[in-house]
Amino acid sequence: MTPLAGCLLVSALLFSVGLAGALTRRSAILVLAGIELMLNAANLNFIAFWRFGAHPEFLTGLIFVIFSIAVAAAEAAVGLALILAIYRHARTSDVSEITEMKG
Amino acid sequence: MSVVSYSDLLRFTLPEIAVMVAGLLALTLDLTVLRRSATKIRFGVAALIGCVGCLVAMYGLTQAAAQYSLPDGMFVMTPLTRLVQIALLAFTILTVLLSTSTRVIGHIGEYVALILFATVAMLFLVATQNLLLIFVALEFLSLSLYILTGFDKNSRQSAEAALKYFLFGGMSAGFLLFGLSLLYGLSGSIELPRIAAAVSGPVLDPLLLVAIVMVTIGFGFKVAAAPFHLWAPDAYQGAPTVSAGFIASSSKVASFFVFGQVVTLGLASAVGRGAFRGYEPGWVPVLCVIAALSMVVGNFAAIAQTSVRRLLAYSAIGHAGYMLLGLIAHSPRGTSALLYYVITYALAALGAFGLLGALESAGIDRIADLAGLYRRAPGLSLCMLIFLLSLAGIPPLAGFFGKFYIFAAALEAEPHLGLLWLVLLAVAMSAVSLYYYLRVLKQVYVADGAADAGPIHTPLVTRLVLWVLAGLVVLLGCAPGLLLNRIGP
Repeated sequence: MTPLAGCLLVSALLFSVGLAGALTRRSAILVLAGIELMLNAANLNFIAFWRFGAHPEFLTGLIFVIFSIAVAAAEAAVGLALILAIYRHARTSDVSEITEMKG
Repeated sequence: MSVVSYSDLLRFTLPEIAVMVAGLLALTLDLTVLRRSATKIRFGVAALIGCVGCLVAMYGLTQAAAQYSLPDGMFVMTPLTRLVQIALLAFTILTVLLSTSTRVIGHIGEYVALILFATVAMLFLVATQNLLLIFVALEFLSLSLYILTGFDKNSRQSAEAALKYFLFGGMSAGFLLFGLSLLYGLSGSIELPRIAAAVSGPVLDPLLLVAIVMVTIGFGFKVAAAPFHLWAPDAYQGAPTVSAGFIASSSKVASFFVFGQVVTLGLASAVGRGAFRGYEPGWVPVLCVIAALSMVVGNFAAIAQTSVRRLLAYSAIGHAGYMLLGLIAHSPRGTSALLYYVITYALAALGAFGLLGALESAGIDRIADLAGLYRRAPGLSLCMLIFLLSLAGIPPLAGFFGKFYIFAAALEAEPHLGLLWLVLLAVAMSAVSLYYYLRVLKQVYVADGAADAGPIHTPLVTRLVLWVLAGLVVLLGCAPGLLLNRIGP
């Protein structure tokens, strides 16, 4: 197995774990953690493709990751703020109980 | 990697900078000088600054060179992008004007600033062919929209809508980023045309198919196509009305445009075919399935709704299905039909939500509450008639020609009417949609309301904006060439 294939396998696994967490967890914060795992799996992909790709002297993949980490941080900030906002009303962050609107 | 001169960058992005500065200015002024002023004045000043910023940006766009670009596809300006950018700025002006009459919003500077920031994100989104900038701009737009959705702090529904929007959005961002990383890995480039050149070949790489599916999930969420639509009904219902209108209009135009760019430029070598008995793998068959699902799910679910906003949300999902036909056609005609459709749709959708915002102050939310509206507010009722009939696709309103062009483009796309199955489904679903739009209009015009219900007063600005939107829907329906000739073939 080449190092690239190994990295891709790990990132695919990480992505699956993140997706499974995001879909099955009931606490909104853990769903958020699952989403972060999915984003980080993609970041790992970028790094692997950059490091083992044809042109590691262009820093494209690396720069992409730096930007996406910043975006993920902003997303976490907004996400936690929204979880707080719903907690003020519902006194819970359990997504299976936040179902006032349906249909 | 090539060197970019900062003065060029500054010159090219002048419109974006103007809107950004307007947003920051509105925020600062509202938080410092106007802190203790009356709501009306604060809204007036913020809206004025926002409108001036957008107008300056529009002027800058009309004065700039017709075609220019920065290296690596970071910033690509064509007459088409400019047209879309001007349309987005116009939508922002109307949205900002509509927001001045909402009562529920306490933090005025922040609200207007967020709308302007979202506009900046959309301006960048449509003017780039670089994966990194697409991702960053899309996330910037999404984050602004999440906050706009949850802006009404006193409403539990608003917070719930924002949380659902955010969780689904975050997940789709994960899919999108993973798909983009695969595209980068397969091609070694993050510039759309170069990706297409690098991944071409007689046999598609399985990894490329995974990338196509993941990117489609990411964008399918943004345009609210089934089965990634679950956030839309809740977000449209719970969000402050103006935010919902903004999400339904501007963000839809920008998302569809960038979705089109990614699939037609970046995946140009993996098109595939979705024709009846002519299947080939690629992004077209994936979109065919999503389009068919969206049309069926959106239109049938809309029938069962009792809240007008939820009805509009489900109908928006159905409309996303029709719009995908323009991408599936994969031809210049398809693209111009899609742009015409999405812009006219956005006019009607923004109008419908603006109208609901005006009615909200009279306590109207459910379809049943609309009974006898014709007597209480004849002007608003006429606007609603125009918007809903345009959404349903009745000539001579703009919605009819949008549907006509997009269906014709889809039929032409394949030899031997290969996409006839999809177009027939679309026509059948349009007929279904007419039923639920007419159900709303029947309440407005035919049903008798409560005897004691008095006339509804609407602020002048809101009325003006609604009449402008209704006028544009009629005008673009009677003279579609006004817009179509600028879009292309």
